[in-house]
Amino acid sequence: MPDPPGCEMSKPRQLTRALLEPFGADAAENRASVVEAARRIPRTLADLAVPRPGGGSFRLTDHHVREALGPPDRATPGAPFAWSARTARRALGLAGLRALANGAARSPIDGVTMAVDDAVGAAHRGESAASPMDRWLAGLPPAGRAAVQAGAVTWATRVWCALDWSAFEEPPTIGRDHWWDSPHSSLLALRSRAEVRSIARDQAGSPFSVHLVVVGGPRRTTIRSELSVAAMVEVLCSPRSLPPGRMVGWWPDSGHLVTLEIDQRALDDGVAAVARTLASTGVTPADGEGTIRAAA
Amino acid sequence: MVLVAPQQEQGALWSPSPPTPGSGAFVVEAGRPAPAPSEAGRPAPARDEVLALLRDGSGQRPRFDPGLSGGLRAWLEDAAADLVARRGEDAPPLFLGPRFLWNDPVAAADPVGTAVDPVGTATDPYPTGWVRSCLIRALFAQVVTTGQVDSPLGDALDALRVDPGRSAMARHVDELPGEARSALAASLRIHIENLMNLTPRFAAGWLPRTHDRVAIPLAGGRVVLNGVFDLLVGAPVPGRATLCALGLTTGGRWAQARTALHYLALLETLRSGTPPFRLALLHSAAGRYGVEDVLEEHLRTIVSHVVVQLSTLGDRDA
Repeated sequence: MPDPPGCEMSKPRQLTRALLEPFGADAAENRASVVEAARRIPRTLADLAVPRPGGGSFRLTDHHVREALGPPDRATPGAPFAWSARTARRALGLAGLRALANGAARSPIDGVTMAVDDAVGAAHRGESAASPMDRWLAGLPPAGRAAVQAGAVTWATRVWCALDWSAFEEPPTIGRDHWWDSPHSSLLALRSRAEVRSIARDQAGSPFSVHLVVVGGPRRTTIRSELSVAAMVEVLCSPRSLPPGRMVGWWPDSGHLVTLEIDQRALDDGVAAVARTLASTGVTPADGEGTIRAAA
Repeated sequence: MVLVAPQQEQGALWSPSPPTPGSGAFVVEAGRPAPAPSEAGRPAPARDEVLALLRDGSGQRPRFDPGLSGGLRAWLEDAAADLVARRGEDAPPLFLGPRFLWNDPVAAADPVGTAVDPVGTATDPYPTGWVRSCLIRALFAQVVTTGQVDSPLGDALDALRVDPGRSAMARHVDELPGEARSALAASLRIHIENLMNLTPRFAAGWLPRTHDRVAIPLAGGRVVLNGVFDLLVGAPVPGRATLCALGLTTGGRWAQARTALHYLALLETLRSGTPPFRLALLHSAAGRYGVEDVLEEHLRTIVSHVVVQLSTLGDRDA
């Protein structure tokens, strides 16, 4: 499998540079074509989401895109979602990072410990806000909980060490997924997942949103399609917020990164990826509800 | 399944040669070292000595040539390209952990740094050495995270049960006959006692993280060198070696465990551009440990070793 174009080695702090690098003069020009494309895309996507036998809606994530567009031998058999150290580490790691970024914690261990304690406490107090993960954590024996905590600490520490947090002009948004629900079809919703969201500016000082996506698994040719779909969702969700400018996918295991500037071509790739994913037999409503994977 | 009793374990231990004085030598402490007594008159635990060795001279952390990583990678890429030419462009990717550096079946009993790699076979999906290694590594993560272990076997199984890749192993241990299970529990008590003595209690500011996986694709991802750090501490700084890596060996050969740590140091160099500053190897069966600096010659040696091994692949794995 050849390297996807745009791959380059990431060293510490280079990831920050790749994410926050000022946009060139063409960013403003791209913006106009992106806005124009964003007007057409919802209708195009709705037309793609035609009802299938069995009915139900399509809630597409990067996981579905990866499964649909990747080599058949790499496809993972669909399995019902279950909480585990692997599926919980991102949520807990993000909570830990948020605590670090807002100064409530001084280290990833402290941040994740706070997150675990908060989750268990919420579940024990029977708070309505307690999530299924909170209740699962609360039911674990201490050693099981420690194993989950260790995985989350490692996840959070890798992200924490990879970025120069002082380089952000304002505290970044950490770990907020965006869902776009088609206004034309109740059958279709798309997710954009990003671990860190911030802003970078063009040469005129105009702000654009930038998005860091932590990528797991081996490097793959589908990564640009995955990022393109996320970029498209950001554009579709952004009429009243910052114009999306850049997606950066980063593999903590290898330090590699892929940068995708959000322009007309990226949106076209995103639409094409959704079309191919929907056309594949791998996405069924049942799969879509049950196999959303943790990020890394 | 035959479980090794703790006494036999001790007898089977390989004792490394005494360390050679001088730069880069592994500082080996056999058994329980006897550092200076604490204020209360009790001998300080070995973990204090390990921590002191890791910190020693840390104010003068070495700088590495920024071109080092690129040079090592280029060397490996050449070898990987030759391997891909032999295997064919369409061959599935090869994932190579440290065990590929030696063709010794004994090595499989102690998959240092490759805890995620299956070593079971169709005829014996859960070899005793592998099961014990996984249980001890789970306990090690717990020691680093919480600083305590209540019931070694029970805690280790609880940790395995929340890992979807290891839950079947936990069930396997649950189903062991009582005698085998007791022997395993007794063995774990020995290991964890040593680990509690050996493992420094790192302050949160050291950023300790367990089971840090590293995977370096070569030849466009057709060859992937991978491994898992049992424990990394420190924050990476460009051009400066600032990380310390701690590896665990549960009963395998010391020299192979050390080679595996050097392999992981190489992978970290390729991942972040600089190698770890210092390595520590903890032998959980014997309570022995060693600490050494990472030198460029270590990296060049291990790259040379990897290149030689890559040159032997292709025919063998066809």
